[in-house]
Amino acid sequence: MAMVEMRNVHKWFGALHVLNNINLDVEKGEVVVIIGPSGSGKSTLIRTINALEPIQKGTIVVDGLDITKSRNVDEVRKEVGMVFQSFNLFPHMTVLENITLAPRIVRKWPREKAEQIALELLERVDIADQAEKYPAQLSGGQQQRVAIARALAMQPKIMLFDEPTSALDPEMVGEVLDAMKELAKSGMTMLVVTHEMGFAREVADRVIFMDMGEIIEEGEPDQVFSHPRHERTQAFLARILH
Amino acid sequence: MKLLKALAWSAVALAVIAVGYVVFFAGIEAALRWYFLAVNFTANKVPNFAHNLRLGAEITIKLTVISSVTGLFLGLFAGIARLSKNPLFRWPAQFYIWVIRGTPLLVQILFAYNALPFLLEPAWKYLQPLGVPPIQDVLTPYWAAFIALSVNVGAYNAEVIRAGIQAIAKGQWEAAMSLGMRPVQVMRYIIVPQAIKIVVPPLVNNVIALLKDSSLASVITLLELVHQGQRMISITFRPVEVYVAVAAIYLILTTVLTFFTDWLEREMARRGAAT
Repeated sequence: MAMVEMRNVHKWFGALHVLNNINLDVEKGEVVVIIGPSGSGKSTLIRTINALEPIQKGTIVVDGLDITKSRNVDEVRKEVGMVFQSFNLFPHMTVLENITLAPRIVRKWPREKAEQIALELLERVDIADQAEKYPAQLSGGQQQRVAIARALAMQPKIMLFDEPTSALDPEMVGEVLDAMKELAKSGMTMLVVTHEMGFAREVADRVIFMDMGEIIEEGEPDQVFSHPRHERTQAFLARILH
Repeated sequence: MKLLKALAWSAVALAVIAVGYVVFFAGIEAALRWYFLAVNFTANKVPNFAHNLRLGAEITIKLTVISSVTGLFLGLFAGIARLSKNPLFRWPAQFYIWVIRGTPLLVQILFAYNALPFLLEPAWKYLQPLGVPPIQDVLTPYWAAFIALSVNVGAYNAEVIRAGIQAIAKGQWEAAMSLGMRPVQVMRYIIVPQAIKIVVPPLVNNVIALLKDSSLASVITLLELVHQGQRMISITFRPVEVYVAVAAIYLILTTVLTFFTDWLEREMARRGAAT
């Protein structure tokens, strides 16, 4: 059974058809990268998977739970981690508190267990020495790695990344991508919206190209990047790869 | 260990407040005595005058404090309910804010004292076998004023708190919800702690306004500062000196409150500097 199954998903913002008949399966352990021009609906797509955006038609099943049923929403969100473009760390809490809050109040873990796991995760994203700092005291790259650790602390079954490096200074992109690569290697199921084509080529099992709310083309990275079948994919890649 | 420390600090803080309170009002009374003698009030009546005015000031401050605290909770609930998607919460909150902000506080105070007993009487009858005193004994001027003032300031607080909550970026909600937190948890752990920093200054403004508005309770014979002053005038026929004294006490009380809130704002800015 696929980790995520999207069937005939439609979404409208008013008259704007932002998701048009999306069908997408993500298998366990798979890393799927979604590319496409801005406004193509790729961020909206991954935001529907944890019900941050409601859909008007179709079904989305995550790990066997139908997320269009409201009673499943909380359960699904526990199993789906999300990393945002603008980090969205909690500014009034230290790094450690940011990471341990949800495990403590949602998973009901004792503080000691939550902190131990948080420190292991900080070690993993290479910022163990920042645990007691506040988000505003960290660089953008460090903040985004804290955000990754915060999502991982819930021990999710799948991770969603919504343009995780788009708000970063260029010199900090690498450290966040490295953390994501390490995560992919560990077998995490990942769905990543990004403009980092190098990352997509290196890490993705499958690349999806979206335009105007539709999935235009999908395939292995080599195929999509080197031999795109659809002319819209060709045009998009020509623009960004020069 | 942490709990013990917190308890110890609370005890110290309470003691400081209690001692400060006693010293402050003793000082007010001494100053009033000196002032009334200086403006040639009958010497043997001066201690009594000063004492009565001091009692009025104490009632004013006590009423302000308990109404502020109650009004804070009312405002918190109404402000959050006002933002709820569920009309069962939103509509009552909107109605409450609309009615209270759209009617004069004086009418609300008169209503609480004169009309509320009639409204509650039928239900109150059933409580009396349980040993609850009659409604007229419960709704004294003091408690009627307390109800009117806290309900009133609660409605204004609700609007402040609503604005504070709306000022927190949407991304905070999304991040918290994506971690599986329920809306109540998001409010408690993420939104309210951040909104507090935004809403404290306007909330304190409401408290200062409340302190002054509590003078309206003089119309329901509550012996607060203004009513005590009026009684003195009816004995001495010297409105100038008495109203100057009354106004001065209000000014001192509001100034103390302003100092406190300036300190609070600085302290929060200092602690929040990291965030």
